[in-house]
Amino acid sequence: MKKRMLSILLVMVLAVSLLAGCGKKETSSNQEQQQQPQAPAEKTGKITIWAWDPNFNIAIMNEAKERYQKENPKVEFEIVEMAKADVEQKLHTMLQSGVKDGLPDIVLIEDYNAQKYLQSYPGAFADLTGKIDHSKFANYKVSLMTLDGKVYGVPFDSGVSGFFYRTDYLAQAGYKPEDLNNITWDKFIEIGKKVKAKTGKAMLGFGLDDGGLMRIMLQSAGQWYFDKDGNVTVANNEALKEAVATYKKIVDAGIIKKTSGWNEWVAAFNKGDTASVVTGVWIVGSVKAEASQSGKWAVAPTPKLNVSGSVNASNLGGSSWYVLENGKSKDIAIDFLNKIYAGDNDFYQKILVDRGAVGTYMPAQGGEAYSKEDAFFGNQKVYTDFSGWIGNIPAVNYGLYTYEADAAIMAVMPDVYSGKLTVDAALKKAEDQLKNQIGK
Amino acid sequence: MAEITPNSLKKNTKFFKRNKSFERSLNIYGWIFVSIAVILLAIFLFYPIVNSLILSTMSSKGIVQKFVGLNNYKKLFHDEVFLTGLKNTFIFFIIQVPIMLLLALILAAILNDKTIKFRGVFRTGIFLPAVTSLVAYTILFKMMFSLDGFINKGLLSMHIIKNPIPWLMDPFWARVTVMIAMTWRWTGYNMVFYLSGLQNVPDELYEAADIDGASKMQQFFHITIPMLKPIIVFTSVMSTIGTLQLFDEPMNFSQGGVTGATIGPGNSLLTMSVYIYNLCFKYMPNFGYAAAVSYVIVFLVAILSIIQFKVAGDKK
Repeated sequence: MKKRMLSILLVMVLAVSLLAGCGKKETSSNQEQQQQPQAPAEKTGKITIWAWDPNFNIAIMNEAKERYQKENPKVEFEIVEMAKADVEQKLHTMLQSGVKDGLPDIVLIEDYNAQKYLQSYPGAFADLTGKIDHSKFANYKVSLMTLDGKVYGVPFDSGVSGFFYRTDYLAQAGYKPEDLNNITWDKFIEIGKKVKAKTGKAMLGFGLDDGGLMRIMLQSAGQWYFDKDGNVTVANNEALKEAVATYKKIVDAGIIKKTSGWNEWVAAFNKGDTASVVTGVWIVGSVKAEASQSGKWAVAPTPKLNVSGSVNASNLGGSSWYVLENGKSKDIAIDFLNKIYAGDNDFYQKILVDRGAVGTYMPAQGGEAYSKEDAFFGNQKVYTDFSGWIGNIPAVNYGLYTYEADAAIMAVMPDVYSGKLTVDAALKKAEDQLKNQIGK
Repeated sequence: MAEITPNSLKKNTKFFKRNKSFERSLNIYGWIFVSIAVILLAIFLFYPIVNSLILSTMSSKGIVQKFVGLNNYKKLFHDEVFLTGLKNTFIFFIIQVPIMLLLALILAAILNDKTIKFRGVFRTGIFLPAVTSLVAYTILFKMMFSLDGFINKGLLSMHIIKNPIPWLMDPFWARVTVMIAMTWRWTGYNMVFYLSGLQNVPDELYEAADIDGASKMQQFFHITIPMLKPIIVFTSVMSTIGTLQLFDEPMNFSQGGVTGATIGPGNSLLTMSVYIYNLCFKYMPNFGYAAAVSYVIVFLVAILSIIQFKVAGDKK
């Protein structure tokens, strides 16, 4: 009998604590709501921000916060750091469920995903047309956040790509920096073979199932997996055919060190096992992480594809800030982004020096930090080069299904490497799969 | 429900017997007590089940939903990615589960032998992997099995292999790696079930078998396995469910890449659960289609469990 009483008591305690738990949450959200009405007028309030990467986005946001708080000391910030996948997952579930509590005011979204969010959750993001001067940003960044003539985000970092190489290895193979300017991928492979023969080092760290390089190749030709209207262009896409063929050539040439996953890939060049990296400018931090290689690196323009219209400039990744329509401090959040990210020239110099972040705010690129020589890269003015290339990046429509397309193509790549499928057959297979998946 | 109350009110039995309305009121108390659990169950269990079933008839683009009836299920049959996921899941299920369970059974039989010294140490050692976090052990295995990782270096220096094995870069080896990892993680867990089952097998059976001249092998097949049958069924059902829901290992083994396009080389590690995740959070968020895939898992688990119960032939 005692036991039963005890268990009943326990159940009741549990129930009460459960109810208490619910009550607590309500009161806290009430408090936050109470703050809201006075917020826009006196610029007090709390901006909640979700982003990933503590050494990059979060650190940069903290810098922006300090700058804003100097002018508006009453605005509080809550910068929440999560893994990228977690930010996306949380945002998807919250927007899907329709709850308005607990949403951030500002969220970082990867450019490839921008249209997906904008079209999947109409009304969820604040329309920033006219509130931010988008003409000051790189054109390709603005176009990817535009839907039905309205611009929804504030462009942030650029993924402008470059061909990072080890000057010492390349010199050993008999190449001067001039030989590496504006080359094609075929030339790149030829150089790689020579580097391999002379130094024994691989030219590239290469993940066989990594589609990053393919996207660099595609965008350099102004092409994507989709055309301007969002229709699938996989099987009849010349640039893509060339890119897939180039992937196979790179693998067949034996100039790569096969890696699996980010860490191995970074380790490959940090350890000095590979002579080059072709990727977005955001890799600078990771390249520089190996201080012993200082002075041994240089950057050349991205190789281009052997198709008409391909240029020696491309992009990989990059992300932008978006304001939630239902955030509690929407207006302050917009003001904050406008003052700092779309107006503070000095801020962009600072984050470039501190974090290697190349913004897409064009006025900032005349700043002194952008024209500084970098001892790590043999006193090359790398950022001047990068900001020059930004202007040349062809704008493409990333569409809604970049990751689906990426997965569909990388899934057929093993058969392409082994020769089981021709490039055309493989792309046909990928296109059929993709069309079925996205229901077109 | 009402059974609780008479006990606690034994002193008032007389009163209790006579007063029917009081009994009814006690009944109400019973319901009130139970209601909390029932309501919680309804909100957090039944509602999601029903709702996800409804959701699986929708095709969604985020919050833009439209009703498509059974089209999601029809689409599944033509969806190469899903079929790959199904195939991979079954490869893991058919190869890994029997190996693991057999290994666990053998280990349990050995460690049940009272003459073995340091039994506790061995038991603990083999069970220990089961307490490690799934993510932590997967990352550890990923490091060990990288091209210039510990395993390849060891095998090379022992001259067992001439060239490093591309553990995580070849579809076949990638699956092997995941199976090795899963076996390491889960064998001890299943072994504990068998060990506890073996405590209920009377020693007399083995003694009698010894006297009759049965070998250890014969004892294992004719005493140990039949006596453990209910537990074997239980572990195989649990492992089936676990394997069909396999998520952490493939996700973490493959995650990364500069952008990680496929799950393992050529999607060799893509399982149904990972596909569900991708459909919701990596691709265009199609929760309706994802719900349909998850119902396929439910259906398969049900079928496989029924088959296992039938094959095990537990007629009682």
